[in-house]
Amino acid sequence: MLDVYSWEPNANSGKPLFCLHEKGIPFTYHYIDLVAHEHHGDKFLAINPDGTVPAIVHDGFTMTESTPAMEYIDEAFPGPPLRPAAPFRRWQMRILLRYLDNVVTPSLAMVAANRAAGPPLTGRDADEIRANLDRIPLPERRAMWDKLMFDGTSPRDIEESQRRVMEAIRRFDRVLARNPWLAGETFSLADIGVFATFHALPLEDDYEVGDVWTPHLMRWLRACHSRPALQAAFGMSRGPIARRAADVRRQLGVAGVEQA
Amino acid sequence: MMRLHFAAGSAHSASVRITLAEKGLEPELHRLNLVHFEQHAPAFVALNRHGAVPVLEDSDHVVIETFLILEYLEDTHPEPPLIGDTPRQRYLARKWGKYVETHLAPHLAIARWAALNGKVPEDAVARLANLHTARCELWLRARGGFDKDQLAVSAQALSIAARRIAADLADNDWLAGDRFSLADIAVYPHLAQFGALGLAVAPPVEAWLKRVAARPSVQAIAGDLFPLATMGPEPGRWG
Repeated sequence: MLDVYSWEPNANSGKPLFCLHEKGIPFTYHYIDLVAHEHHGDKFLAINPDGTVPAIVHDGFTMTESTPAMEYIDEAFPGPPLRPAAPFRRWQMRILLRYLDNVVTPSLAMVAANRAAGPPLTGRDADEIRANLDRIPLPERRAMWDKLMFDGTSPRDIEESQRRVMEAIRRFDRVLARNPWLAGETFSLADIGVFATFHALPLEDDYEVGDVWTPHLMRWLRACHSRPALQAAFGMSRGPIARRAADVRRQLGVAGVEQA
Repeated sequence: MMRLHFAAGSAHSASVRITLAEKGLEPELHRLNLVHFEQHAPAFVALNRHGAVPVLEDSDHVVIETFLILEYLEDTHPEPPLIGDTPRQRYLARKWGKYVETHLAPHLAIARWAALNGKVPEDAVARLANLHTARCELWLRARGGFDKDQLAVSAQALSIAARRIAADLADNDWLAGDRFSLADIAVYPHLAQFGALGLAVAPPVEAWLKRVAARPSVQAIAGDLFPLATMGPEPGRWG
């Protein structure tokens, strides 16, 4: 029995979805609607008391850390190996994932959340917002949402996050100038992790991403978007992420399943 | 040839030294003095732009980031196995390895800096500019002193960490399965500082601290486990 409780095929939510599609492992997908706060509802909190997605449950064993869960999936199931065999390559895969998880994804999330925070909340009752915030189990998450909803994040923090995302883009481009994939000669969990967060980057005008600035990253994005398994994972989207993926494919000139 | 750059008073260094001893490995050792900020000396920053120990050199590879050094040692020297026999045990070891970096170590460093009244000596200030930008920013924050809000956030994070560790030790002798593993090695040197800093831990954690401390690999470096005012990883900025 393999159950994945997750939102759209995007960022941390997307990691197990992309990973399981690449391995070719069937699973039951339980869509957790973040916009409807389902991750803070009693039903989901019974699975993960921290209220974070994704949660992966395999034969009664619950995993809530997406990167260690990807290593678990690679170890526990058959299918193509998603980690390089050589120890130093494996270290390179892990350090890129660590950098992604601890520095890059939070920075990108801060920028994106602050851009999106305004419109959907205007007109909502402050008490109602406060009641929703009180349901968030982890104090650091609660503080983050509180900042977003009430104080606003400081422009300095947002600028620093944008700087970090741009720094990451350049770093990944440099790595990909030397190797076809992020951890060397073979597609790995590092590619899945970075792709889950960066798959729609060419649509973002805030960052200098394109054939002129980041040719190696662009080559890699085309290679990832061309993979049937990753396209199939986008097919699990209820809408927004699948539409973005289709937009990126069009921009990159990559054929999608719907055109094939 | 293997070479380890490490320091006394660095919990992260202790994790690597315990792992090396458990595996019977004896690399060449380069001891840095954190009191004199030797980790920010230009020659060392050239090796690691974060200006942080430990750093493992293995032939021409430079390996950084403590838990990933432990995994690298496990991959290059699988005997005796320390990361667990099953995917479940390995998941738990990696979960704890990550938790140390995102929750335990960053907040312990901040609480420790305040408790021990940490200072950046004047002759070390100019060298901060050689560090990676985010690392330099963290040190500048430390130099100015952490504010009351940050200290409250860190104290709360540490008390949650102590509770989580106690919960996983409630029915187990070890953190990730039925044997001593990289999870225990990654967490122990940080938890071992709690007492000296006046941070409380529950009885199952006390018992576990004693179990880990009894291992010869830990006894060999016991004199280097003291708390020292120095920075850890940056605390999470968003969630």
